[in-house]
Amino acid sequence: MTQSMKEFDDFNFSVDKYTKELTRECVGGSDLQQRKKEIEAYSEQTSATLKQTCKRNYMKFIETAKEITHLESEMYQLSHILIEQRNILASLTDGKTSSNLKAESVEADNATTEDLENSHATRAVKEMVQGFNGNLEGKTFLNEGALIELDPNDYRPIQRVFFFLFNDVLIVCKVKHDKRLEFLSEYDPKKIAVINIRDLDGVKNAISIITTDGSKMYQSITAAGKSEWIEKLNEAFRFDQLKKTKKGPAPQPPTRVKQQPKSETPPPSHSPAEPKSLEDETPEWVSTASEEIQTLIAQRHFEDAQALIKRTQDYLRLNNKLPSATIIERKVKEQELKLTNVLLKELSNSHNRNLQIALRAVKRPLKILVEMGRFRQASATLLKVCTVSLRVAQREARRNNAEISELFFCDLTQVACDFLNAFEEQPACVSALVVWCNAELQYFASQLIKHYLTKGTALEAVAKCVERVRKPSTKLTEIGLDISYHLEGLLRTTLESLIEESKQRLLDTVGRTEESWQPHNLHTKSNLKRMLLELDSLGIDVRAQTTGDTWINLTQSTVVFIRHFLQLTEHCACLAKCETLLQSLELLLRDLFVAQHALKPPSDMAVDPNFVMKNKIFLVDNLLPIAIEKFRHISGRQCDSLRELQTKLARQQGAPLPKQRSVYTTDVF
Amino acid sequence: MSKKPTAGPALHKVIMVGSGGVGKSALTLQFMYDEFVEDYEPTKADSYRKKVVLDGEEVQIDILDTAGQEDYAAIRDNYFRSGEGFLCVFSITDDESFQATQEFREQILRVKNDESIPFLLVGNKCDLNDKRKVPLNECQLRAQQWSVPYVETSAKTRENVDKVFFDLMREIRSRKTEDSKATSGRAKDRCKKRRLKCTLL
Repeated sequence: MTQSMKEFDDFNFSVDKYTKELTRECVGGSDLQQRKKEIEAYSEQTSATLKQTCKRNYMKFIETAKEITHLESEMYQLSHILIEQRNILASLTDGKTSSNLKAESVEADNATTEDLENSHATRAVKEMVQGFNGNLEGKTFLNEGALIELDPNDYRPIQRVFFFLFNDVLIVCKVKHDKRLEFLSEYDPKKIAVINIRDLDGVKNAISIITTDGSKMYQSITAAGKSEWIEKLNEAFRFDQLKKTKKGPAPQPPTRVKQQPKSETPPPSHSPAEPKSLEDETPEWVSTASEEIQTLIAQRHFEDAQALIKRTQDYLRLNNKLPSATIIERKVKEQELKLTNVLLKELSNSHNRNLQIALRAVKRPLKILVEMGRFRQASATLLKVCTVSLRVAQREARRNNAEISELFFCDLTQVACDFLNAFEEQPACVSALVVWCNAELQYFASQLIKHYLTKGTALEAVAKCVERVRKPSTKLTEIGLDISYHLEGLLRTTLESLIEESKQRLLDTVGRTEESWQPHNLHTKSNLKRMLLELDSLGIDVRAQTTGDTWINLTQSTVVFIRHFLQLTEHCACLAKCETLLQSLELLLRDLFVAQHALKPPSDMAVDPNFVMKNKIFLVDNLLPIAIEKFRHISGRQCDSLRELQTKLARQQGAPLPKQRSVYTTDVF
Repeated sequence: MSKKPTAGPALHKVIMVGSGGVGKSALTLQFMYDEFVEDYEPTKADSYRKKVVLDGEEVQIDILDTAGQEDYAAIRDNYFRSGEGFLCVFSITDDESFQATQEFREQILRVKNDESIPFLLVGNKCDLNDKRKVPLNECQLRAQQWSVPYVETSAKTRENVDKVFFDLMREIRSRKTEDSKATSGRAKDRCKKRRLKCTLL
């Protein structure tokens, strides 16, 4: 197999050639089929490998990206350390030389690094920013970086922006799609107010900047980036004051060092920034947990995020004496809420027209949500998803004239099974499932009534339809869900009106046909035979009534009625499996029978009264018991009104006409 | 998540003002998260938002916790402009902070140009009654002069913390309903106000 498959990898692979060779090699169709299977298997295998490779590469990509950000921050720190070191070295060497030279040299050294940074930033602004013509000579560069501008009303991102902060100007640029920067505006840092947004509906790392032309909201990618910006904007705001103090022996780096611990210890919302005394007691991973969780959520490692949340909470429970415990706990709680929301969103997005696919897609978020104890929300969302799938599938099936009842109950069972698997321990959720089932059932019944049980539907079709609904609905009791009763209740009024309507229609047709009150001539032997067989299959034998080769010794309408009545009994018995409809069905059969039985030849027609009587007697003595038995057999219920009718009619005809019966038995035609 | 706050509950914007170290942030954090933060870290400007139920109606409160330090006085105007109500906080153990409230009151009135802006005078740290430096009757007298309510709170024991925020929100709310019901006279009045502001600028 592998050998033949290798050909696919060949650079000069030609489909025609390969097919031709294949057909030449193979003997017979089965061999070809075999080859086809092999090729298909190979193709499946290939696509699976491809998927795996893709995934592996993607994971590698993410890993690498993480690594790069780590390295970047390390580089940043390194460069700071280097500058410090150089300053220390410089001051040391200066210490050796005369003291009055020292200050100058530090100034000079400091100036060179500053100049370097300044000229670099100035060049960057000039090269990268389109539409900015301001003069940057002599300004001190403080910070630069990308931020996201948010809509202050709904916190949605509007655009990506890039800030350049100098001692007396803040330049705001827009990041265009081709990564180029477009100048938007510039502000005086002394005239802008910065607000640190600590708590705003889950919006993270946001600051608000009030400028002369209104207030704008910006979001930093990391918490550290945000606090740096606040720090730097503050530095720019107080630049002149700082400059004055800086005139003394302290150069710039030391001021930075002085400011760093400050920025690291704002009160609650900043996680890696525990006050110094706590750092020894709180393990590193606990204090950074909330940030780590956030990253995991963003990378969609939901399981890991959940595990970390749990681990942190367990740890905090055991070590609740830690002063920072409440702060971390709150943040972890926030993250937990976020994870829940993300998962719920995931869950509600997984609806699909195919229920199986939808159920498979919800498995992962569902599992985590259950582990997190979010039963109620998870179950409610799951059921919503299922509702969509179920209804779409039903609509589609209806359009394709497929069997919707079976589909509906299969789907319902599937949902119920999956649901119970996931939430078995939760009685509240199980009752939610029951409520949901009832709601779906209601929808299903309304669809059924609207599309399959419309006015004027023949009783036969009604019986079939109802039968198809009932059978699978009883099967649901196997998983402990009894919905039959509810379903019957939903369909009852419709079915009753349909039965009533059918009754009227059937009664109207009785006696409509022209009746000659003569024995029924079927004209050919085969017709007779077919008729007899048909009646046989309905459970009545009329062979005793045949005379000659083609005659039945009953009127045509009687024969037709026998056939029709027995069919109708079957359908009615089917419907009568449910007790609620029994009465109206019995009524239908009885009234119809009575109507047929009461048929009389017109008074002006010359007919043999004995023959008329014979037909009636046949109906009562032969047809009726068979119909009663048939009804009982199918529905499992007694048809009392037909039995009453039988005894009543038998008594009527039994008393006055005893002789006639004997006449007919000897009658010869 | 996708819900627009504009279509959501009403938003009341509260601003905390007062000298440095009187406990503006402590009050805010106690109200927001039910916790008392011991260590002192000067605030620059922090904003918080929270959903609360105010007399059976769900509303959002937006708290802007400002810097008490003098060096920020220059840009305070920028913050004050967005406020709908003010909690002017001082510490009952620090007379200087009490004297400073006068200055804050004047600045607010100047920026908002409105004598009846929702405003509460709040004496914080009432758990430290033994170290009291500002006599109670003096506080009440000042509140009377300004015709604003005076409440003593403790961010540490949570005494009256909810009260001051909710009382202020009620004032803001009644103020807003008044404004929306504005008769033509009032509208004119406001026009005048705005014009006045323009000339000032």
